[in-house]
Amino acid sequence: MRPLQFIAARFWLLALLLAVWQVLAARRILDPLFFPPPSKVGETLAAMFVSGELGRGLYATLMRTGLGLLAGVVGGGLVSILLCVSPRLRTAAQPLVSALYSTPRLTMLPMVMLVFGFNEMSRLALVALSAGLVIVIQISDAVRAVSRDYVDLATNYGASRAVIVRKVYLPACLPQIFTALRLCTGRALVLTISIEMMSSNNGIGSMIWSAWQTFATEKLYASVMVAACLGLLTGPLFHLLERRFVPWRSVQA
Amino acid sequence: MRLLCTHLHVSFPSSTGSVPALRDLSFATRDGEFLTFVGPSGCGKTTLLRVLAGLLSPGAGRVERITGPDDHNPSVLLVSQEHNLFPWMTAAANVAFGLEMQGVLRNEREARAQELLARLGCAGKERAYPNQLSMGMKQRVAVARCFLSDPAVMLMDEPFAALDFQTRMVLQQEVLDLWEQDRKSVVFVTHDVEEAILLSDRILVLSEGPGTVVAEYEVPAQRPRRALLEMNGELWELKRHILESLRLAAGTARYACAR
Repeated sequence: MRPLQFIAARFWLLALLLAVWQVLAARRILDPLFFPPPSKVGETLAAMFVSGELGRGLYATLMRTGLGLLAGVVGGGLVSILLCVSPRLRTAAQPLVSALYSTPRLTMLPMVMLVFGFNEMSRLALVALSAGLVIVIQISDAVRAVSRDYVDLATNYGASRAVIVRKVYLPACLPQIFTALRLCTGRALVLTISIEMMSSNNGIGSMIWSAWQTFATEKLYASVMVAACLGLLTGPLFHLLERRFVPWRSVQA
Repeated sequence: MRLLCTHLHVSFPSSTGSVPALRDLSFATRDGEFLTFVGPSGCGKTTLLRVLAGLLSPGAGRVERITGPDDHNPSVLLVSQEHNLFPWMTAAANVAFGLEMQGVLRNEREARAQELLARLGCAGKERAYPNQLSMGMKQRVAVARCFLSDPAVMLMDEPFAALDFQTRMVLQQEVLDLWEQDRKSVVFVTHDVEEAILLSDRILVLSEGPGTVVAEYEVPAQRPRRALLEMNGELWELKRHILESLRLAAGTARYACAR
């Protein structure tokens, strides 16, 4: 399919809805105070970009998400290794991990703040915790799902334990490691923006909340759109990374 | 290398105690011999090969590996029925895996893997991943890896069972040709009596599970052989005897269970 056709096939519905909204708002069938026309939202977005407000907000949100993710992935990875090495620890940790995993992350913010104080550290810690939990659950599942046949095969050819970890367990788990990274990145983004709405004076979440408080609906829509685009971009990003690092999964006969 | 097995017993735990898989199984391989086990399904053939490969310890009895003077690489390698290629390695990397484990440098092992793949009619497939290969190609790659590692004994667990008739014949011929070069000992397992006659020097018949050796036959055919082995009167007779042994073996086991 040609690029133009590809774009047309995917975006005609979205374009149609925006056009209808534009017409309805311009003719004042929709109240423009509540539903400002997309053209106005676009103008506001451009103004926010020019004034640097958008850049500052994006920077704050991406930094928070990135640092939290980094800490969570590294921490989660280390914990996963520990749990794989010691089955006894794994059994004991399982109820704790499951309980934490099923608690809505945002509800833990007050408790995290009791520990780390009313500051940036708490926000990062919560994002890291959320990412770490995804990593721990996914990786320990993946390690347990590695087929005994492949371990036997490597053993039969004289592979040592270290070689088996590097040549069998690691590549066998790689697809699920990427799934875990994609999942926890999406969640970290959502969580960061939610935290910013509740307790921050910068970032996309904070922009959304202050636009709501001052009833600046054009700014509100513009900021929400930016948040949506951030979420949308993580999918293709990880798709590309996966194609590069897990080639045996993307190629088909 | 020769394998000497004495009074092997293997059982697997189950919800109702334990299920015996091998019962008092003894045999010895000879140097450079192509030995085949035939037996009904569930006779413990796979279990036996896993014990011989050292992947499973027997509950009782022992497996001795008696090395000769020209066994440079005293390994015993298994070609299993399926899941025997790493999905994350290309065909060439899979073939070269044994050499990699032996510490052969990348350039040399890749060159040798490519040469062998080309000989087996897999030229151009070196960079393909296993999920891009046909069943026949996958088994070629698995067999190639085993031969390239040059083990002292090769164990083959129904390597052609999942293939269609023509592909199977081609692969049988390829294995015969590769094997003729060095004539290392092979322990082969199949439920196909004609395949057993075609490939082997000696055939051992296993009883229905728990498996034990119930009959032994020498195959009176010349080497090198062609995959379209002419079944002369003597070989037909052998086939008839083996089938009869299999029938009796199944009967014995049922009788033992009924008692």
